[in-house]
Amino acid sequence: MAQQHGIIVLFDVENALRTRSLDGNTYWFDNMKFLGSSGVGTEQLETIVPGTYFLDGSQATEQVLNWLPAALGSIPPTVPRNYLAEQARAEDRRTLEELASLSAEGGVGETEVKQLQRRVGKRARKAESGRGLTPAKLLDVTGKATSSTEAYNYPAPVITDITGEAVTEKIIYPAQYGSPDMIYDGWYWAATVDTSRPGVYAYTVHVQLHELVERNDELVWESVDLTCESSLKIISDPKRNGFTGAGLGVLPLPPVPAAG
Amino acid sequence: MKDRISIVVMVDAVGALSERTLHNGNLSLVDDSAAGSQHQGTPDLVTAVVPGQVVQWTPIHVDVQTPVEIHAIEFLSGAPVPPPADETVPPYPVEPSAVPVPWTGADATASNGHDNHDLLVWEGVVPYDMTPGVPYRYRLSLKLHDGPNSVLHIDSPALLRV
Repeated sequence: MAQQHGIIVLFDVENALRTRSLDGNTYWFDNMKFLGSSGVGTEQLETIVPGTYFLDGSQATEQVLNWLPAALGSIPPTVPRNYLAEQARAEDRRTLEELASLSAEGGVGETEVKQLQRRVGKRARKAESGRGLTPAKLLDVTGKATSSTEAYNYPAPVITDITGEAVTEKIIYPAQYGSPDMIYDGWYWAATVDTSRPGVYAYTVHVQLHELVERNDELVWESVDLTCESSLKIISDPKRNGFTGAGLGVLPLPPVPAAG
Repeated sequence: MKDRISIVVMVDAVGALSERTLHNGNLSLVDDSAAGSQHQGTPDLVTAVVPGQVVQWTPIHVDVQTPVEIHAIEFLSGAPVPPPADETVPPYPVEPSAVPVPWTGADATASNGHDNHDLLVWEGVVPYDMTPGVPYRYRLSLKLHDGPNSVLHIDSPALLRV
């Protein structure tokens, strides 16, 4: 049966932005350890791709790779995508209600105003050349407004390309697909594999992270493009008949079948 | 007469592993025999076959990333199995009602030393000496991922020569 491989790439976004490198800041995890993947959970993942072929040499099963990016310290990808928008709207609504009650009571103290200012929060724009991020209130992972550069929630890392030896050697054919799965923004990277040439092939994942910078008294999300590497171990073995261990034969029926 | 009959084994691997059973709706068998199979869609499928036909079993997993493979298909015997030539007495009393036919088991080891049941093709020719009208039940064992609890089986499906 064709096997779908899931490869989670977990990024330490904060550290990667600080060092401007993904070295030591990625953790790779796949579902193929039981078939021989090595380095699962580390930066040195080697994903096994067990191919099969028929006796005439043709490829017998198709292996599909799926890359699933995730970020340390972010809202988990399983939380609905509109979580931040909903939380921002709820914060605004609460602020307006408190503002209304303040004016009704007549007296406005300085502490109340400070509290309201914090609630209003800061808004970050996308850079002119940036893409994908809409201007939004800065929220921490709990959905509360924040203006602290330590506490805000990084946008999820975006895979922008997959290149390298495995691609140039035409071992994998990666592409980005639209998906009804909203967990990954409706897009994901997948590849089919040519398992006819066994060996170890490296590949490079291009990732776009987003950094919050202050420019002209404005907060702006700027994209930072980085790359990281992993590898595939392709093996290939012949299909054989489950009953005979070789070619097609007669079903091994008993002389007398079991009753019932 | 069709040359080939496909029996598709649909499996909810997560349900089967968490309930430790292939029953309770975790497995469904369907075939494309034109000769009058019974209990389509259940684990009790009785596939109507004709000698000379090739029967092929194919597993399909409902969650695409769960590994589901056929571990073994063993036909159940109603008569005591004759002991191997170098043994005169069976080492233990043999239950006559449902004994799997001795089966050597095809090697599923892949070139990297791990078992990979994806390498096995489960198909065979219906023999001409099969008795008509009698269901030949078989034990269908499935391997879901790996480990001590990964193999589950059912004894209920059968082939029936019409």
